[in-house]
Amino acid sequence: MTEQRRYFDEIALGEEYESPGRTVTEADIVMFAGLSGDYNVLHTDAEFMKQSIFGERIAHGLLCLAIQSGLFSRATAPYATLAFGGLRWKFKVPVKIGDTIRLKAKVTGKKDLSKPDRGLITLQRTVLNQRDEVVQQGETDLIVEKRP
Amino acid sequence: MTGTYFEDVVVDNIQVTPAITVTETHVALYLGMTREAPLGSGAVPDVLPLCMVIGLGWRVKDPPLVVLAFVGLDWQIMRELRVGDTVHSRSRILSKRPMRDGGLVVDERTIIDQHGEVVQQGRFTFLVAKRHVAKRHKEVSA
Repeated sequence: MTEQRRYFDEIALGEEYESPGRTVTEADIVMFAGLSGDYNVLHTDAEFMKQSIFGERIAHGLLCLAIQSGLFSRATAPYATLAFGGLRWKFKVPVKIGDTIRLKAKVTGKKDLSKPDRGLITLQRTVLNQRDEVVQQGETDLIVEKRP
Repeated sequence: MTGTYFEDVVVDNIQVTPAITVTETHVALYLGMTREAPLGSGAVPDVLPLCMVIGLGWRVKDPPLVVLAFVGLDWQIMRELRVGDTVHSRSRILSKRPMRDGGLVVDERTIIDQHGEVVQQGRFTFLVAKRHVAKRHKEVSA
């Protein structure tokens, strides 16, 4: 990646980003089950799920959390991120095979840290589906380098 | 379906999972699937261990929670992992609160590396089925 990384100083409160869409496929769910080891019937048993309130298999919540993390890197130029601090997250609406999700994000916090070379950026993130329903929402904390 | 229903969830119950080594393959699969920006050599994306811990949670002696929905997550990353590190997780049920068809269960998870250091920690909130809900599932499918 040759794209310029953005330092803490260059990121403004209130900046907003929107990613392209990403269709969640059966292959994504199967691969994620293999990668995570989470074979819960919710994600892997089509017959059982026909009888459930969802009517079909649903994507793992963490799969969509991981996908939005990738979508963020397609929504804006990369930050000079030193570390991921943590997140506060709600799973609101299930994502089904064939749904297309996208990410909207907004910078809602900028804070100095005890080490003078870095600061904390808080982003409010909203994952939407093709019907503009909020499927996941939360805040993430990124520790971002200041301009040297 | 075998599993632990809301009624059988015991507050303060502690479970320790087996361990898993985070490999280059896990990282490559994860980056391919998410298209997250590539990292430096040997680095592990921070969300990957969290995903792997969910699967480890199934490899304990007690039957897994009968989860109707994953409701929320509060998570902190304390230390970075490197390819080759081996992690396991420890979980403790913090609270349970009944609702109509199930109940909310808060599960505190800790990811621990091969040196015994806590690398990530937080709380999962699950909606867990009550027994009669599972019974209804069976009646529908019968």
